[in-house]
Amino acid sequence: MNRFFGWLRGNAERHLLIAAQKDMASRYLQREGPVIRQRFFWRRVFVPLYRLLPWRLRHRIMSAMPGSHRQWYRGSGPPRRS
Amino acid sequence: MATRIVVIGGGAAGIGAAGAARATDPDAEVRVFTEFEDVGYSPCGIPYVHGREIDSFERLFLADKETYEQAGIDIAYETRVSDIDLGSRTVTVEGTGPVPFDRLVIATGFNYEPLDVPGSELGGLYHVKNIRQAMEWDRIIEEARSAVVVEATPLGMEMVTALAHRGLEVHLVDPNPWLLADAADPDIMQPVEESLIEMGVKLHLRTKLQEFVGDRTVQAVRTSDGEIPADIAVVCTHKRPSNKLAADAGLKIGSTGGVIVNAHMATSVEGVFAAGDCVELPHEVTQVPVVSLTGSHAYAQGKVAGTSAAGGDRRYNPVYVPWGMVAGKWMIGGASTGETLATALGMPFMMGVAEGISRARYYPGVMKVKVKLLFDPASRHLIGAQMVGGEGIKERADFLGMAIKKRVTVDDLASMENVYSPPIGALNEPIALAAQNCLARLEG
Repeated sequence: MNRFFGWLRGNAERHLLIAAQKDMASRYLQREGPVIRQRFFWRRVFVPLYRLLPWRLRHRIMSAMPGSHRQWYRGSGPPRRS
Repeated sequence: MATRIVVIGGGAAGIGAAGAARATDPDAEVRVFTEFEDVGYSPCGIPYVHGREIDSFERLFLADKETYEQAGIDIAYETRVSDIDLGSRTVTVEGTGPVPFDRLVIATGFNYEPLDVPGSELGGLYHVKNIRQAMEWDRIIEEARSAVVVEATPLGMEMVTALAHRGLEVHLVDPNPWLLADAADPDIMQPVEESLIEMGVKLHLRTKLQEFVGDRTVQAVRTSDGEIPADIAVVCTHKRPSNKLAADAGLKIGSTGGVIVNAHMATSVEGVFAAGDCVELPHEVTQVPVVSLTGSHAYAQGKVAGTSAAGGDRRYNPVYVPWGMVAGKWMIGGASTGETLATALGMPFMMGVAEGISRARYYPGVMKVKVKLLFDPASRHLIGAQMVGGEGIKERADFLGMAIKKRVTVDDLASMENVYSPPIGALNEPIALAAQNCLARLEG
């Protein structure tokens, strides 16, 4: 199970970061994005779908993954909102 | 009978744990096993010896071996632990056999992310980690004329700067469109990029590493931007938790690859603790786990793990990750998150940016300081910061890390008081200017 969550987080983090870097490079530097090969699913399906979700839901999904954060926080909502 | 505490690893976390364990329980029998020849030195200082800002590697040592003996810490050097048996509560030490423990601290550190390209096994590839190897590499650098640094990570930035100081022809190869792209924002890194070019560094951004070329030793690096002749290549890929021993023993591993721990640095198995680069910790603002923090984080975690292992009560807090470094001719730094990471996560944020100065405008040595602040739109709390400047970045990063922790708002920062003294502080504090810029943007 941990291997699955490792795979999920590793891919999600990498492809979301690449998408953000592409946006930022275009906006600030007028350059193209990173030259890193991306699988169709992550680039064309996962990233757009993730971006459609509200932050509250995204954060709930991230929080549901096993990890040290669950030793500190239990059942918390989105961060820093009072 | 004395409590037997075994520590695996002699880096900042391991040595911090051993010292804290002895301080908590002076009767405890504390044994440290390290694969390396030395403990208790600062590997983070290695690039600065290569760059000749520090004149010798000996200066990086915090204490000599006798000091640890006198402190009652038994350190086995060049000794590898190959297995942890949680049933019999023993570790298997190569050449010795099983060694029993009552409490165990795992501080196995990190490995560099492997490069999946041909030629990765060649000689002439330098992985900056061990001080003895660094001493040997320093002699090789003395003879070298050209170097390729692979990946613009924090270490990559430090090594590029160091090798440029040594007068080598330095090439930096990275697949991203700007330097340090996984951590810093492009506008923050733009002055650094320009300064490295001024220093003669050849930047190969948006460039794929394809192969290390050579017979036994690297002679060139093949990239999507062409082949670069090189006497040495410095591999500065991302750090990954060294978790094999822990995972093989059945400890729970998180989605980052780091060992799962709680606030006492206790793992999923009673009596077993972990600290440093092999663990994952919650990032307070996002509340998701992160790995690969700094030496100061590792040492502080080691202290908590060692205290806990010896029966004391000490807690580690979620992290805000204030950071800073010298890159090219600039200092860069920040806390928590930048615009790029917040965009990647899809966190809502509002932003303010300002360029100020480090001293009075007329005072010699005055330098630019650019500050970028991110705030949560709902609570108006500060959630992240990034900076580039000539001086005063570290102090601002520490302050901003604490400001995030204490939930300081954009309104607080916009009206903050600041030190004004011509040699050390300008009339207007750049942090306040950035917060005011955020408010001005909100007002449209």
